[in-house]
Amino acid sequence: MSAKLPPGLQLEKVDDRIMTLNVGPQHPGSGHMRIIIKVDGDYIVHTDPDPGYVHRGEEKMAEYRNYITNIPHLERPVIHDSCNILYPYCLGIEELLGLEVPERAKYLRVIAAELNRCVYIQYWLAIYGIFLGHSTMFMWPTGDRELLIDLLEKMTGARVTHAYFVPGGIRNDVPPNFEDVCLRQVNYFEKRIKEYADVFYDNPILISRTRDTGVLSREDAIKLGTTGSVLRASGVDFDIRKKEPYDVYDELDFQSPTLKEGDSYARSKIPWLDMFESCRIIRDALKKMPKSGSVRVKLKPKPKGGDTEIYRRVESGRGALGMYIVSKGKPQPYRLKISVPSFRNLIAMPHLLTGEKLGNMPAVYWSLNYWPVEADR
Amino acid sequence: MVNDITVSKPKGLSVINQINSNNANVFVGKLGDVLYKAVGTPLGMALNWGRLWSLWPVHIETACCSVEFGAASGPRYDVERFGIIEAFGSLRQCDLVVVQGTITRKMAPRLRLVYDQMPEPKYVIAMGACAITGGLYFDSYNVLPGIDGILPVDVYVPGCPPRPETLIQGCMLLQEKIKRMKAR
Repeated sequence: MSAKLPPGLQLEKVDDRIMTLNVGPQHPGSGHMRIIIKVDGDYIVHTDPDPGYVHRGEEKMAEYRNYITNIPHLERPVIHDSCNILYPYCLGIEELLGLEVPERAKYLRVIAAELNRCVYIQYWLAIYGIFLGHSTMFMWPTGDRELLIDLLEKMTGARVTHAYFVPGGIRNDVPPNFEDVCLRQVNYFEKRIKEYADVFYDNPILISRTRDTGVLSREDAIKLGTTGSVLRASGVDFDIRKKEPYDVYDELDFQSPTLKEGDSYARSKIPWLDMFESCRIIRDALKKMPKSGSVRVKLKPKPKGGDTEIYRRVESGRGALGMYIVSKGKPQPYRLKISVPSFRNLIAMPHLLTGEKLGNMPAVYWSLNYWPVEADR
Repeated sequence: MVNDITVSKPKGLSVINQINSNNANVFVGKLGDVLYKAVGTPLGMALNWGRLWSLWPVHIETACCSVEFGAASGPRYDVERFGIIEAFGSLRQCDLVVVQGTITRKMAPRLRLVYDQMPEPKYVIAMGACAITGGLYFDSYNVLPGIDGILPVDVYVPGCPPRPETLIQGCMLLQEKIKRMKAR
């Protein structure tokens, strides 16, 4: 006989039809996170994402480090997109301290950010390939990614964790022959990524697996608050680089690609189209960049800000990435809030997965351009 | 163990009922010693030789070092040359845990569970400063100061994150260690 339960509580009804599955954290189709999925036969009837496996308390840690020593740990949430996550932080601190960034540093920042966006997208694409069982699509982007990592290593001295952006410019100037090498590598890189169409994007198997799965309509995309590639795949032309240009993005010639379908295929194609635009931006920036000059404003050892609140955001590899800094006149920020695009796109996951077939889960899940470490901060 | 047997005083075939995983060693121990002395050393060497060229890491990503782990499986670094395939889905067929970075309080029990579910023999590589000492996050409220408290680590690979070459060197050190290990 069942024990008497306190009022208000009841035993969960056991249903033979519904089965609960834990996808993650140890699962070939998940990263550092868990999705609790309930399936009825082959169809998902309930989705409950469970993030927080890599919550390291970045925001709290930022409160007892000063503005300069905050730089290394703030880029750790997305180490393969580390320039873009430091971008809003540096823009915010520059506004706080009233610094004027040298012109050459602005262009070099844009080049580093766009190279890093390509590096991020290549890694994302590699994982998307392996999720769909397409091993060639793991090998090709991982190999081509190393070209750009070499370039970034020349610029910054580190493979993935660059810590290149500092308030008031960039850490070091580039080596003397950097422009030629960069142009050559980027041209070759563009030629390589064009070939992905043959093996991946025009592949009938990929199209049959991703077309019309996880369709996110334009209205839902806006209502759920998604950003970046997810939003642009649903037909909303929203790119921070265009809408709120920072540094020198308003002087450069590029477009932000938009698709109307809103399915997994469109969401997987937008980052690929983004890489072509990044190559265009890099070539344009190399042409317009001043050939010499200072790259960094000298700072006092422990700079202090006034009593203000600052919010700056940039377009990262995944979407709008914002930093909200509250300063109370001390060398440390009073509060630092990182508004991450991954977490915004995660909100769309239950909406998209519920009602899908279980086999479509990896195709929909990773097309959301979601990096769990960043979402957990 | 020995005390239990003397108290219960088993007789005849009822001894078999007393054998369980705890005291089985007492009965078959002597035979095992003789066998081990005869064929143990060459057999163990052969076993270890087989194991060291087929290390299969389990697919558990714990933090951002997984990016460099992925790069190490890529075409430029290609750890498959050393018999280490890229992260594998089923943990029942794996014998290596590469702890890829920070372990938080939420991840620690899951990591231990994965380790416990793997069959023997199993080896652990702690990859990155966070897995060794907590690294940059030494003073964070949600991060363990290294994984020594929850897993027996064989090789430490320093770096934040370690370059793929460093990871490969760590794997080769582990192979060297297995070669000299007593076969389990």
